[in-house]
Amino acid sequence: MSTKVYITGMGIISAIGDSVEETLQSLSDSKTGIGKINYLETFHKDTFVVGEVKHSNNELIEIAGIGNYNRTTLLGYIAAREALKKASINDIKEARTGFVSATTIAGMCTTELLYKDFLEGRNNTNFIDSHFCGVSTNDIAKHLGIIDYVTTISTACSSAANAIMLGARLIKNNILDRVVVGGVDPLSKFTLNGFNTLMILDKEWCKPFDENRKGLNLGEGAAYLVLESEKLVKEKNKNILAQLLGYGNANDAYHQTASSPEGHGALLAMQNAFKVAGIHPDAIDYINAHGTGTPNNDSSEGIAMQTLFNNNVPKFSSTKAFTGHTLAAAAAIEAVISILAIRNSMIFPCLNRSTQMSDLTITPVNTLEKNIPVNYVLSNSFGFGGNCSSLIFSKN
Amino acid sequence: MTAYINGLSCISHHNTIDENYFFENLSTQPPSNKLLATEPVYKEYISAASMRRMSHIIKMGLTAGLMSMKKAGSEKPDAIIIGTGIGCYEDTDTFLRSMSDNNEQLLTPTAFIQSTHNTVGGQLALTTKCNGTNFTYVHQNLSFEYALLDSMMLLNENEATTVLVGAIDEITPSLFELFYRTDRIKKTEDLQSIWNSTSKGYSLGEGAAFFNISSTATPTTQAKITGVKCKQHIENADELIQETDLFLRSCGLQINQISLVLSGNCGDEQMDKKISEFNKKINLPIGYFKTLCGEYFTASGFAMWLAATIIKKQVVPQAILPDSQIVSNIQHILIVNHYHDKEYSLMCVSVC
Repeated sequence: MSTKVYITGMGIISAIGDSVEETLQSLSDSKTGIGKINYLETFHKDTFVVGEVKHSNNELIEIAGIGNYNRTTLLGYIAAREALKKASINDIKEARTGFVSATTIAGMCTTELLYKDFLEGRNNTNFIDSHFCGVSTNDIAKHLGIIDYVTTISTACSSAANAIMLGARLIKNNILDRVVVGGVDPLSKFTLNGFNTLMILDKEWCKPFDENRKGLNLGEGAAYLVLESEKLVKEKNKNILAQLLGYGNANDAYHQTASSPEGHGALLAMQNAFKVAGIHPDAIDYINAHGTGTPNNDSSEGIAMQTLFNNNVPKFSSTKAFTGHTLAAAAAIEAVISILAIRNSMIFPCLNRSTQMSDLTITPVNTLEKNIPVNYVLSNSFGFGGNCSSLIFSKN
Repeated sequence: MTAYINGLSCISHHNTIDENYFFENLSTQPPSNKLLATEPVYKEYISAASMRRMSHIIKMGLTAGLMSMKKAGSEKPDAIIIGTGIGCYEDTDTFLRSMSDNNEQLLTPTAFIQSTHNTVGGQLALTTKCNGTNFTYVHQNLSFEYALLDSMMLLNENEATTVLVGAIDEITPSLFELFYRTDRIKKTEDLQSIWNSTSKGYSLGEGAAFFNISSTATPTTQAKITGVKCKQHIENADELIQETDLFLRSCGLQINQISLVLSGNCGDEQMDKKISEFNKKINLPIGYFKTLCGEYFTASGFAMWLAATIIKKQVVPQAILPDSQIVSNIQHILIVNHYHDKEYSLMCVSVC
């Protein structure tokens, strides 16, 4: 149980780039990927801004080169392929390898286009072959050649954190030697309308941790990490990007969608992560917060951070003003961003902010900070159903 | 890894909520191509105010979870792990319809909120005030198996002493229509005993099965789970036999120690080809559990409940056995399942 879990590769596609390099460039330039809707077909096209991946489905089919799949599978495959490439893995079968993917949308991006036809009795029922959550996971795993442990997790906006956590546990329990973990969610009318009914979408750029924040911007994308056991890393003399030091999962048990005002579940998830990591909270150099930009989340999360760190909160920011809230992919996208912070000694800013939140004493990082030693990063992700998860990454 | 089943519950087509009922006087032919659940009196478990907005799967899942806890004498588990192939389809369908009918305008949030796959896991946490680990697996027909593997891993890690693990899926009119129009459902006139079936399709089922498991036995322990294994792909019956052999060895067992196989044949001759050949070659008593519950993504949860109940009662329902076999002294039950001949799973349940 004492084996360390290392990250040896990562891949990402989101509104701020098609690769790890492009992502770092956008982050370093403080350049958001959120803008007018270009690709999603929706009545609200001109109402909301979103973080779209800057490619049509046909372009993604071309980039992925695995055939005519839906946006979920294509985005997921493109990011997972990059992660394996960065980890210099050519032969999947040389070690026990798993694939744990998170999604909330799965095939909904296709279903919602054909559902009217189905309801009206026309024979458009092919969406059934891609609708259910496991399908895109299986298709991505098939094209990566992974067969040993392939599964899908869906715990709303904390999904990918739980996929990453499960991957680490599978290695520590000696069930796998390495595992590709992360998540994918494309934009869909379903989620855009859903979050709109909850009145938590900002029509302009979101302003996480700002007193006048109005809500979130939706985003889309995928990100995956390659986790490998200490033993395999030593045997193969692998290049290490970071260590996954801790993880925690807890349930807020407060409300189906809202977070408790004091952030009880968030606090428990962070505390659990520190327990696993075996480090003191003082060690943290940077927190990549969930920070969706909704009034409820940022207040609840901020209070939980103040409680945990005893009002001595480390530098923190939310990077959702770059990517939008990518739901089931968010924790994986932010894991990549956390590791980029470690690797590049940078702290990425909370964009669009101007006013201090009145119910918090803490202020996020507002402009890019360079040449800052970042050895330990905490990353939070919370979701509907009270699901709260935290991850801790370290440099070595 | 061994897990003891200390509490369990099952909502299914038959009256499985009644502890004294056990499938007496049933035909070997599934009663319909749509095996809707026999529902309990929900208000005994859920307040009228919360129930009003809840869809079918939420009521089933929440109630079955609470029933299992009651049997185990537990008020709060350390962790809640759910497997669901489809999740909350009724709410998904409602939201899709209103989006389509109203051109994305004037929508209300309830259906969207409740369409999230982890709704039942969240509701159970809320109701039991459980702040512990909470996961939802949504990997089609392996959703329950992966939930169970995670639960057993949590016990092994000493991260939890008791885990509430459940399998839930629902039928809705739209879902039935969708499955029917894509030739997955058997025509009523083609209904036959599953083992004699030569036609296409299956009876669609639904249900909720929950288990309170722990790494040590308690006074309420009914059976133990000795192993779970998932396979992404099976080439042929011989590979399935080999995998079974390996799997049983990892459980410390040999094939000849198995008293009964609960086989996941669905009744579609083509889809069942490999598992039917496996059943012939393995030379053990076979029970066809989908006669009782129908085919759905988490039917293996029903099979797990059935296996634990057979072990307790030492009786196999006649309706699932061809040729009126008598199976006695039931020590170990092997569950072999598949869905559309794609992913396969093996589980083993034993006496304590």
